[in-house]
Amino acid sequence: MVELIQFGIDFLSLGGAYALMALGLVIVYGILRLVNFAYGELIMVTGYALYLVNGTALPWLVMAAFAVFIAVLTGIATDYVAFRPVRAKSVTAVLITSFAFSTLLQNAALLFISPRPRNIPLPDIFSRTVEIGGVITPVRNLLTIAMSVIMLALFAWLMRRTVIGIAMRAAATHFTMARMLGVPANLIISSAFAISGLLAGIVALFWLGRIGSVVPGIGLQPLLVAFIATVIGGMRSLQGAVLGGFLLAFIDTSLNYSLPQDLLKFRDAFTFSLVILILLWRPEGLLKGPASGQRT
Amino acid sequence: MIEVSGLEVRYGAVRAVRNVSLHVGQGELVTVLGANGAGKSSLLLAIAGALTPSRGTLHLAKKDVTGYSPERMVRLGVAMVPETRDVFPDLTVSENLRLGAYIRRAQTSAVNADLQRMYTLFPLLKERQQQAAGTLSGGEQQMLVIARAMMCDPKILLLDEPSLGLAPTIVNQIFEMIVELKATGISILLVEQNATKALQIADRAYVMRLGEIAAQDSAAAIAEASDLRAMYLGG
Amino acid sequence: MRHILTAIVLLGLIAIIVFGIELTGTRLMVRIATNLCIMLVLVLGLQVFMGNSGILSFAHIGFMGVGAYVSAMLTIPLQMRSMALPDLYPIVAHIEISPYLGILLGGGIAAAVAAALSYPLMRLSDAAAVITSFAFLVVLHTIMLHWSAVTNGPRTLFGLPNITTLPLAAGFAAIAVITALIFKESRIGVLLRASRDDEIAAGAMGANIPYLRWLAFILSALLAGIGGALWGHYVTSFSPKAFYLKETFVVLGMLVIGGPNTVTGAVAGTILVTLAFEGLRATEGFLNSIQLFSKPVIGLTEIILAMAMIVMLSLRPGGFIATREIGDTVMRWFKFRDKTQ
Ligand SMILES: Nc1ncnc2c1ncn2[C@@H]1O[C@H](COP(=O)(O)OP(=O)(O)OP(=O)(O)O)[C@@H](O)[C@H]1O
Ligand SMILES: [Mg+2]
Repeated sequence: MVELIQFGIDFLSLGGAYALMALGLVIVYGILRLVNFAYGELIMVTGYALYLVNGTALPWLVMAAFAVFIAVLTGIATDYVAFRPVRAKSVTAVLITSFAFSTLLQNAALLFISPRPRNIPLPDIFSRTVEIGGVITPVRNLLTIAMSVIMLALFAWLMRRTVIGIAMRAAATHFTMARMLGVPANLIISSAFAISGLLAGIVALFWLGRIGSVVPGIGLQPLLVAFIATVIGGMRSLQGAVLGGFLLAFIDTSLNYSLPQDLLKFRDAFTFSLVILILLWRPEGLLKGPASGQRT
Repeated sequence: MIEVSGLEVRYGAVRAVRNVSLHVGQGELVTVLGANGAGKSSLLLAIAGALTPSRGTLHLAKKDVTGYSPERMVRLGVAMVPETRDVFPDLTVSENLRLGAYIRRAQTSAVNADLQRMYTLFPLLKERQQQAAGTLSGGEQQMLVIARAMMCDPKILLLDEPSLGLAPTIVNQIFEMIVELKATGISILLVEQNATKALQIADRAYVMRLGEIAAQDSAAAIAEASDLRAMYLGG
Repeated sequence: MRHILTAIVLLGLIAIIVFGIELTGTRLMVRIATNLCIMLVLVLGLQVFMGNSGILSFAHIGFMGVGAYVSAMLTIPLQMRSMALPDLYPIVAHIEISPYLGILLGGGIAAAVAAALSYPLMRLSDAAAVITSFAFLVVLHTIMLHWSAVTNGPRTLFGLPNITTLPLAAGFAAIAVITALIFKESRIGVLLRASRDDEIAAGAMGANIPYLRWLAFILSALLAGIGGALWGHYVTSFSPKAFYLKETFVVLGMLVIGGPNTVTGAVAGTILVTLAFEGLRATEGFLNSIQLFSKPVIGLTEIILAMAMIVMLSLRPGGFIATREIGDTVMRWFKFRDKTQ
C-alpha cells in the first residue's frame, strides 16, 4: 500500500510534467506540421531568467512570472527567427533552422553567462516534505500534480471555449480554409508558439525546482521527453500528447522501480528504442490526429 | 463588384489559369462552366486570395486587391466555399459556424441572430449542432460549408461546385438555396459542372477551357448554344 | 564527361591543399588540413544520404562514434589495453590488428549496424523520420556512454595508435569524393533524387524507395564509421560526448551552408566552415589571451555558425552550390566562351 502511494505520487507528478511538455511541442506541430528542435531551450531560458533575477527583493511568484514571460517571448522569437523565414520552403529546412536556433541559444548562455551550473531561486515550500498515508514525499511533487491539473484544465478551456482556441484547432486541420474565414495565419502561429512557451515555462519552474540549478544543456532531456511522449501519443493529437506523457511517465517510473541499477543507466536507450518501435508500428502515433492539413 | 483582368495562376511550370478576365456586378449571379481541369477552382482560389496570381489584377469595388491574403479578402466581404468541402472535422457544427463569423466576433448579438437564421435555413444543421462536423454526411457537410461562409455576412460569395457528389434532391435544395441567397442581394460567383442547372439560375455565364475563357454571354444565350455544350461542356 | 571533370576539379583541390601544406606548411596548418580532410569524409558521408534522399538524419554522428570505438577496441596496443579498457570481453581483449585495418573495420561495423537496424525506418518520412533518427542518435550515445566494457564509459578512452597523417586523411577524403559522385550519378542516386521531388512518381517508375534509401543510409554510415575511426587515430583519445549534438551541428552546418544536394557543395561547405571556424577559434583564443573580458569567451564560434545556417537557409535554401556540380559549371563556362568567340 505504501509502495503504491509512493508509486502513484511519483507517476502522477512526472506524468503531469511530461504531459505539459508534450503539449507544448504538439501545439506547434499540429498547426504547422513542423518540429521545433529549439523547444528544450524554452526550459533553459526560463532557468536563466530565474537566475538573473535571483537575489532581487522580489517575491518568488513575481520572479517565476517574469521567467515564464521570458519563455513565452522566446517561443514567439523562435517563430520569427527559425520558422517564418523558411516555413514555406521545406520541412528539413525548418528542422535545421530550429536546431541551429537551439544551438545559438545554448551557446549564448555559454558565452554570456557560464558553462557551469547556476543556482536559481526556489520558494521554501519546494524543499519541504509531507507525510501521506505513511509515505514521506516532497511537497514539490504534490504541487507539480496540482499545477498539471490546473494547466491541463486551463488548456482545455482555452482550446474549447475561446475563439482563438477554436481557431487554432481549426487551423490545425485546414490551415488555408481557416484563413479563408478570416482567421489570421500569423496570429494563430504566434499564439501557438506563445502557448508553447507558456507550457514550457511553467513546467520549467518545477522541472528545474528538482535540480535547483540551470546549465546550458538543460533543455535536452525535456526535449527528448516531449519527443517520446508525442510520438507515443500521436504527433498531431492534443489528447494524444497528454496520454503519451502519462504513458511515458508510467514506463519511466516502472523501470525506476524494477530495473537493476546497472541496467537503469540504459533507461534512455530502452525508452527510445520503444519510440522507434512505436513509430514503425504506427507512424502517426497511438492516437490519430485530425485530418490532413497543410503548411503556409 | 469584382473585376478580374488578365489573371494568370501557375503551379510551378503548369499554367492553370491564363489571361482570364471577368466581372461580377452587384447582386449578380455569374456562373463559370468548364470541363475537369479547366482551371475553375484555381481561378476561384486566386480571387479568394488563397493562391497568388503570377500576372493580372483583381479589383474589388474599384479597389486594387491583387495579391491580398485570404484573411484580408474575407474582411473585404469575399467568402469562399471551396470544392474540397473543408469542414473542420473535429469541431462541432456550431463551432464551425461560429468560426465562420470570426471577423465579426465582437458583434455577439448579430452573430447569434445570423446563427439562428442559418439554423432556420438549414434545419438539418440545427439538429446536429453539437455533433462533430467530421461525422456529417457529404450533403450535410456541404450545407455546413455554405452556411459557414454566410456567417461572415459576405458581399460576394464564391461557390466551387456546391452540387458535387450529392443526391439529386439535395442538389435541388442547394440550388434553391443559392437563389434565396441571391435574393438577399449578395453577388455570387458559381463554379459548376452541372451546366443545365447552373444556367437556369445564373444571370450570365463564362465558359473556361484549358485555363482560358472560351466563351461568355448571358446564361440564356450560353444555354442555347448547343455547339458550345458539345465542345466544352461534354453535352 | 562532366562528372569526371567534377571529380578532377575536386580531387585537384584536395591535392593542392595537401601538397601545398606538406611542402610549406606549419604544424598548425597541417593540423587544420588534416582536420579538414577528416571532416570531408564525414560531411560527404552525410551528403550521400541527405543529398540524395532529401531526408535529414541525426544518426550520422552516432555511426562516426561506432567507427571510432570499434577501431579503438581492436587497435589499442595490448600492453595499454588492460589499462584503457580493463573490462573488455576476453574474445577481443587479446586481438590487436593493424590500425589501417581497424579504420576499415570501423566503417564496416558502422555500416553493418546501420544495415541491421535502419531498414524499417526508411519507410517513414518528414517528422517521423527525423525524430527516429534523433532517437537513434540518443540510443547510440546512451550505449557509448554506459557500455563501459567496450567504451570505457563516459570517461576518456586513450591509447589509440596515432596513424592518421595528412596524406592518409586526404586519401580517404578523395575516396569519399569519388564515392559520393559515383553514388549520385548511379541509377540508385538518380531514382532517389527523383523520389525526393516526387515520391509517388518515382515509386511508379518501379523504384522501391525504402530499399534505395536504405542503401544510401548504409553507404553513409560506412563513410561516417571510417571518418570516425580516422578521427580517432588522429586525436588518439576521446569520450562519447565527441559524438553527439555539437558534432552533429558542425557537420550539418557544413553541409547545409555548402549545399546538401551537390558533392561540390559538400566539399565547398566543409572548406569554408573549417576556415571560418579556425579563424573564429583563433579570435576566441586571442580574446581570451588578452583577457578583454572577465570571463573566457566560448561558444562564439557556434553562435556565428548557427546564424550563418539560418541566414543561408532563408536566402539560399539550397546552399552555396545548390544544383550544379563544378564540372557542369566549368563545361558551361567553356561552351559560353566558345560561342562568344
Ligand atoms: N496544387 C496543384 N499543383 C499542381 N497542379 C495543380 C494543382 N491544383 C490544380 N492543378 C492543375 O491545374 C489545372 C487546373 O486545375 P483546377 O482544379 O483549377 O481545375 P478545375 O477546373 O477546378 O477542375 P475540376 O472541374 O475537376 O474541379 C489542372 O490541370 C490541375 O492538374
Ligand atoms: Mg475544381
